[in-house]
Amino acid sequence: MTRTLLGAMLALCCSTAARAQNPEPKKETCVACHEVMPDGPLADPVKAFGQDIHSAKGFGCAACHGGDGTDASMGAMDPKKGFVGKPRHQQIPVMCGHCHSDAQFMKRYNPALRVDEVAEYVTSVHGKRLAQFDDQKVATCTSCHPAHSIRPPSDPKSSVHPLNVSKTCGACHAKADYMASYGIPTNQLEKYEQSVHWKAISVRHDLSAPTCNDCHGNHGAAPPGISWVGNTCGQCHSVMADNFAKSRHAVVFPQMGIPGCAACHNNHDIQATSDTMLGLGDGAVCVNCHTEGSPGSAEAVAMRRGIDSLRMDLDSARGLLERAKNAGVEVSQAQFDLEGAHNALVSSRAAIHTFNVATVDTAVGLGRTITAAAFVRGQAALGELRFRRTGLAVFALIIVVLIAALLLKIRELEPHTHDHTDA
Amino acid sequence: MADSFSTKPTPRRKFLDWLLGTSVGGLAAAVLYPATRYLIPPRAGESSAATVTLPLKPDDIAVNTGQIFKFGNRAGLLIRTSNNELKAFSATCTHLGCIVRYRPDLGEIWCACHNGHFDLNGRNVSGPPPAPLEDFTVNVRGDQIVVGKRT
Repeated sequence: MTRTLLGAMLALCCSTAARAQNPEPKKETCVACHEVMPDGPLADPVKAFGQDIHSAKGFGCAACHGGDGTDASMGAMDPKKGFVGKPRHQQIPVMCGHCHSDAQFMKRYNPALRVDEVAEYVTSVHGKRLAQFDDQKVATCTSCHPAHSIRPPSDPKSSVHPLNVSKTCGACHAKADYMASYGIPTNQLEKYEQSVHWKAISVRHDLSAPTCNDCHGNHGAAPPGISWVGNTCGQCHSVMADNFAKSRHAVVFPQMGIPGCAACHNNHDIQATSDTMLGLGDGAVCVNCHTEGSPGSAEAVAMRRGIDSLRMDLDSARGLLERAKNAGVEVSQAQFDLEGAHNALVSSRAAIHTFNVATVDTAVGLGRTITAAAFVRGQAALGELRFRRTGLAVFALIIVVLIAALLLKIRELEPHTHDHTDA
Repeated sequence: MADSFSTKPTPRRKFLDWLLGTSVGGLAAAVLYPATRYLIPPRAGESSAATVTLPLKPDDIAVNTGQIFKFGNRAGLLIRTSNNELKAFSATCTHLGCIVRYRPDLGEIWCACHNGHFDLNGRNVSGPPPAPLEDFTVNVRGDQIVVGKRT
């Protein structure tokens, strides 16, 4: 089968060599006939091709389909002129790779574009099944980059724009009947769309958040194995990955056949983390392996206790300073300094991945020192506020008494004036 | 004639009564309103200060170093780049709000909490930060460095 693939590559290389060197920006004769055909597989490609990146770059039909685009007769589609028509499934990566694997050629159009797509593809599960079994259902180039309407990944309408990648993969992987013969789950898309990563992309429009290809690769798509799932997550979550790599769990998990990060965070339906995941209570993931009373569970509880104490101290100090600030007392320096405790809390949560109580306690201790100082400053600020309010109340009382005294004096004077007038 | 004088107030007296009555009310309002507003102040939002003069002189910050400064109650980061250019950003990481710092060895802004990296335009270039840092304007006026929010 590999020979067949190589043969197809050779044939396509010969057929497309001429146009690769000289793309034809002018209208080809193919369009004149195909655009007036009834809607269907012979006309639709011509109508869609106007929006294709290749069309914008000046390529025409013959660039992929071969033949003679200048010949207005049926002779244009002579196999002797390199015409291949609709390429077979196995021919597609070869056809696209003819240009896309040629670094020198691609530089003329996009110097930053990778040229290892086909090299990666043959290492993918898709590429291997295509080469070994001539599997007609596996993805090739045009499964993800729809032929005749290919847009660059930066285009929001592109099938490979970060917002659309999961739908593109899901077009096959979420179809239970289509995937039945492969015996793999088909709920990945459904789970992914409940994940914190999908929310980051779809709600916060954070296009750097991962979608399918960021963990599985795109052209070299394959499921991350147990041994390197941490490396996958560690592309972004490097501090946690480093901490985990130095931990006892990094040794034990592979022995037990447990996938690193996914053991606690799952894989496709990764949720936002919370402190409740740590310890033995509701929502805790430690209990999946550690039974209550075991040394591991005691360490989990100790780490949780430390983090809870810092979080509560931080909330308390923040609340105190916020009350003082809202009451008009200047506490911006204390609030500024308290940010260090927030740093410590975030760092202590990252330190959980060392699974070492002492490491977590170090970060917690630093944070609690800062919160204690902030708490004292907050209490002093509220003490000052109380003093000012008391002073104001006394002042207001004096004014009221003074007004009352003035009124009484006026009333006392009025009869005397009246009597004097009468007299 | 005498009866009508004792029972019917003249317009002038009515006017004086009205004037005194409203004056007392105005006086009471003038005293009580500010006192009430003082005792129940409005909820203060984020510091609205648009600029801050740093307690630093331009010469205090060496080439290829960074300095955290206070901007309202939040942290800012002033950097003198290796090209001798002063730049300032919010020092609050856009991931989980840790304080970032300048890494002279990398020439980048770095968040230690989750190893987030930002370039010297504040753009998130590596790690989990989802957005760039807010960048501030920097103006040197004699011996003073004035940092401000962009409008």
